[in-house]
Amino acid sequence: MATTNGEYVIDLHHVEKVYRGKVHALRGVEMQVHRGEIFGLLGPNGAGKSTLVKIMMTVVRPTRISGTLLGRPVGHKPTLRRVGYLPEDHRFPRYLTGRQALEFYAALAKVDRRTRKRRAAELLTTVGMSDWADKKVSTYSKGMMQRVGLAQALVNDPQLVLLDEPTDGVDPVGRREIRDVLVELRRRGTTIFLNSHLLSELEMVCDRVAILVQGKVVMQGTIDDLTAQSRRYEITIQGAAPDWAQGDPSIRVEVLSDGQSKLIVQGSEPGPMQPILDRLRGERRIICAMEPVRETLEDLFMRAVTDPETGQVLQPGARTNAGARGPGKEA
Amino acid sequence: MQTVAIFLDAYRELNARKLFWITMILSGVVVVSFALIGINEQGLRLIMWDVPVPFLNTTVMSEETFYKTLFVEFGIGFWLAWLATILALVSTASIFPEFISSGSIDLVLSKPIGRLRLFLTKYATGLLFVALQVAIFSVASFLVLGLKGGAWEPGVLLAVPLVVVFFSYLFSICALLGLATRSTIAALLLTLLIWFLIFSVHATESGILAFKLLTEQKVTALESRISSYEGTLQGLDKDANDQSQRRAASIRHRLEDRRSEVTNTKATLRKIEIAHRVALGVKTILPKTTETIALLERWLIDLAELPAPGNNNDSTFERLAESGAFTPDPEQLQLDAVEAIRGRSVGWVLGTSLAFEAVLLALACGLFCRRDY
Repeated sequence: MATTNGEYVIDLHHVEKVYRGKVHALRGVEMQVHRGEIFGLLGPNGAGKSTLVKIMMTVVRPTRISGTLLGRPVGHKPTLRRVGYLPEDHRFPRYLTGRQALEFYAALAKVDRRTRKRRAAELLTTVGMSDWADKKVSTYSKGMMQRVGLAQALVNDPQLVLLDEPTDGVDPVGRREIRDVLVELRRRGTTIFLNSHLLSELEMVCDRVAILVQGKVVMQGTIDDLTAQSRRYEITIQGAAPDWAQGDPSIRVEVLSDGQSKLIVQGSEPGPMQPILDRLRGERRIICAMEPVRETLEDLFMRAVTDPETGQVLQPGARTNAGARGPGKEA
Repeated sequence: MQTVAIFLDAYRELNARKLFWITMILSGVVVVSFALIGINEQGLRLIMWDVPVPFLNTTVMSEETFYKTLFVEFGIGFWLAWLATILALVSTASIFPEFISSGSIDLVLSKPIGRLRLFLTKYATGLLFVALQVAIFSVASFLVLGLKGGAWEPGVLLAVPLVVVFFSYLFSICALLGLATRSTIAALLLTLLIWFLIFSVHATESGILAFKLLTEQKVTALESRISSYEGTLQGLDKDANDQSQRRAASIRHRLEDRRSEVTNTKATLRKIEIAHRVALGVKTILPKTTETIALLERWLIDLAELPAPGNNNDSTFERLAESGAFTPDPEQLQLDAVEAIRGRSVGWVLGTSLAFEAVLLALACGLFCRRDY
């Protein structure tokens, strides 16, 4: 059932898209994005990520949809005045300068003349392009285009920003700067929807993520929630593991190559670790390290895209109707 | 605000295109050449040299008519309606394929502007190329006509809407093909091909019309000759001498030939009329490119201003020799054809053409608005 919860900036239900040729790109996507969070959408190639973003931005027409964007039905054009969007591989008209491009797209977003001039100048400085502001975009590198693209997405001072691969082609310094911009936007209350392949980057900034596989959301939630099952403590000790540890079903023992052993205890709380540590110390074992560990986003992603029955990584690309996958698991 | 931004963007795009400026320079060359050509009692005057031309001097047509004809026939009919239009199509054919290219269209469609309005505004900007070119050309020509020919004719400025409307027929084809194929080259080549087909239909209809008028002229000449023979026979029948009777017999023989010939010619005329109706029917559903441009001539130059048909005082039936050989009157034929074409209403010329454009635009709108990008 569709909700009208005001906390959801994006509230999508039953999103389906069947392209011509019966390619079933989205098959009943359910997704909620909270106000003021950075939300990451992950998925292998052909999972339907860009299609979902394009549906929200009215670039692609959904086959079926129920849901809202900033409280208005998806497809409501005036709402887009409060939304910023950076498409993947965006192309600005080559005859425009960076400043002209920003002002042009701001005008299309109904930003008044004085404000768009001010915003364009501010944003070009923010993304480190003020020196290039009056040069033609045809002279820009890929990274520069991404920076100006990000500025374009923010030029209408949006409440919601959808960014499709924003750091694609950007150098590490630029990626860091873009991350800082996103964090600052979140601090000001802007909701950010990130679509990216760079899992480590998403992990650094995202509050919540969703993983889309073959047109369905298979996981959705905070990274902590999604990785809760995998949380564990790893204690590395000198020498072989004690017999009592090997006999304890709650402890998994690994023998390391350098004569050390690792005791792995499932759980995220430090309390249950204390008796184990006491016992190791009582036996005068040398404790080399103890660290809390959880799945990385990459591990989580790989788990999501692996077929639990066959253990094989699912082939990229949306399936046709005949090859529909079973219902997904949501956190 | 959005519409102004799209037009400003279109202007910047034009400004960045070399072809826009090349066309503008060539337009300037055409206007300057107008200023360098004059007409006097002897013939043409090129800069400062007189070139005697017996059929083109101020005794044949006034300086004002000369300049207006030069503007309409060469400036509009040849330069703007052919060469400049091809350059404009080359320059604007990429507008829609580039507009809907991936990465570019996403940015625009994601803004709070409806697809229909976006398409129509973009379409209008495509006409900006021609509107700017023809506006500057017409104003410059207006000044040259006034200063050199003494013809301060504001009607010259009618070229602006007419040429823009004429170009819009072709641009609607180009826009639809650009959207459908997403290819600039395909859109351009197919548009030029369709333009050629439209011109071929026009040429065919004009040819059949000319043939029809020629046949009508022949029928009139035959009927005049028949009635002349009948009058002569009445006189000869009263005279009983042998010479008169022999002449009467000869005339009767020719009369029979002419009557038979007029029957056959009328039958041919009916077939030609059917063919003409078919050609006109086909032409009706197509844009009238040539006739749209010809409207300017219709409004600027009165038929009476054009040189009168030559000193050909032959009466109609004398165009039919005693032997039966028919000699047409080409100048009268041309005047009749011009009158027939001018007899077609402006509403028919523009209305049917704009209806064609409206259908194509509706298809293009549907394609643009319903497509996923």
